Amino acid sequence: MTGVIPILRMGDVLLTTVHVELRDAIAEAFQTDVLSAIEKSRATGLIIDISGLDMVDSYVARILAETGRMARLMGTEAVLCGMRPEVSATLVRMGFPMGTVQTALDLDEGLALLRSKNGLTRIE
Amino acid sequence: MDHRRYMSLLKLDEAELRARMSACELGPEDLERLQRLRPFAEKHTAEVVNAFYELLLSHPQMRKFFPDEATVRRVKRTQSDYFLGLFEGRVDLAYVEDRLRVGAMHERIGLAPKWYLAAYRKYLDLLHTLLYAEYPPAEARAFFGSIKKIVFFDMAIAIDTYIAANLETIQRHQVALRELSTPVIRVHDRVLLLPLVGAIDSVRAHQIMDTVLVRVVEEKAKCIILDIAGVAVVDTKVADNLVKTTASVRLLGAQTILTGISAQVARTIVQLGVDISIMHTRSRLQEGIELALEMVGKTIAPKNGASEGARP
Amino acid sequence: MNITTRERREMPVQSEDDVILVRRAVKALAEQTGFDTFASAALTTAASELTRNIWVHAKGGVAIIEAVENGERMGVRVTFRDEGPGIADVQRVLAGGYSTARSMGLGLSGSKRLVDDFALQSTVGTGTTVEIVKWKSY
Repeated sequence: MTGVIPILRMGDVLLTTVHVELRDAIAEAFQTDVLSAIEKSRATGLIIDISGLDMVDSYVARILAETGRMARLMGTEAVLCGMRPEVSATLVRMGFPMGTVQTALDLDEGLALLRSKNGLTRIE
Repeated sequence: MDHRRYMSLLKLDEAELRARMSACELGPEDLERLQRLRPFAEKHTAEVVNAFYELLLSHPQMRKFFPDEATVRRVKRTQSDYFLGLFEGRVDLAYVEDRLRVGAMHERIGLAPKWYLAAYRKYLDLLHTLLYAEYPPAEARAFFGSIKKIVFFDMAIAIDTYIAANLETIQRHQVALRELSTPVIRVHDRVLLLPLVGAIDSVRAHQIMDTVLVRVVEEKAKCIILDIAGVAVVDTKVADNLVKTTASVRLLGAQTILTGISAQVARTIVQLGVDISIMHTRSRLQEGIELALEMVGKTIAPKNGASEGARP
Repeated sequence: MNITTRERREMPVQSEDDVILVRRAVKALAEQTGFDTFASAALTTAASELTRNIWVHAKGGVAIIEAVENGERMGVRVTFRDEGPGIADVQRVLAGGYSTARSMGLGLSGSKRLVDDFALQSTVGTGTTVEIVKWKSY
């Protein structure tokens, strides 16, 4: 299931767009792929775009939050962008703790956030 | 309202149709009888329709619906079709749609149900007399029985039309009310303001959160100011909703600034035990606006001379 | 006033594919019933949580999706039934007590907050039934 969710590299930033429902096998592979991409590229930033997800349950939320935390452990700032209003409302009402995962409205905002955080982040 | 909309509002599908017919005990025997009565009906249409309108027009309140002769003629024609429709011997969705069209028209012109029902009573009265005059009692009774069934079937639809129209109006008002009670204002580029006023029950609180989130995305807002100075009571439920709204706005990558916080409200929020470190709060709206502008890299500067020119 | 069913669909939950199918069916019915995006997302997510619970913890069961009405109100009811191990201490699980069953507890308590009516019945060794209803608000 590896490679189902593509990971692009733009300078020091990795960009990945979750465009399919995260079934177990795909989700695990996604996490592995992201972490190995970080390892190989030594990226300082990671943007996970979830604008294509119309539903995020606790399982998917956990995968996303975990991936963000793992990335940070490896020294990479992770940003979750494009969450839909109804997805956000549902997660909060459900009481799922999204922790301190960084968020941005969209890709542009995500890149801007990383730029401001890392100062010298190169984004091509 | 369009009659098709009534069909969907009243959930008029095959199953519903069967349920209504069964409720009136209207079956194939009745339909067959009604069809056999068709010649009888045609013979007496004019008589029935005229007597019908004589009744209506004898009441001054009714006259406004029939301002002139042309209208009366037109309406009598429609009524004749309607009357004969009872004797077609078929009751299917097309029949119901037809009846709805008439009901919708009456509702549109403001003809109240009481007149509708008075009219049906007159129909039945007239038909009863005519039937017993022309047929032996046993047959007349059987015919009248079937007529009653279909008339009541029609009446139910007519009344439901009025109910559906009212429901539709209520819904429209509720949507309008919701929009009015959650006026999200764009104060500056990417800065939104929502002044909350009045009582906030759980339904309204829910809607406020939903509206805020949609607007934040629509306007690509970097922050939204929620001013609660005008909120009558901020109890734990309202405070909890404000906290939830802040959390969900954050997930969209934006910030919430809470303003208009009184000492009492501050106490309520802190006693909720939530992590308020992520919340931006200011006691006055003005300070909230200044903070919001800072967040988008702007400052309000005095229009002085050269020494203190506007800063970017 | 009692609840009557207008439409009913029973779906097996035996695999991950089934979880996805149930989720899609619930979403479709929610939209058909006229729920707005928020209500639809809430119901679909609750259904996703509870269906996953069946698949992950009970190794199989069934989901029954119904369009219901109670007088003038219209809604969607979903019943989740499994013959899994059952839950011994429901209150504790709902409060997030057991660490091993944490995901199940989170799914249960989370779902409860997303719907209007929530009923759970469970017997250890026999199975669990969860019924959720969300009503359309105007």
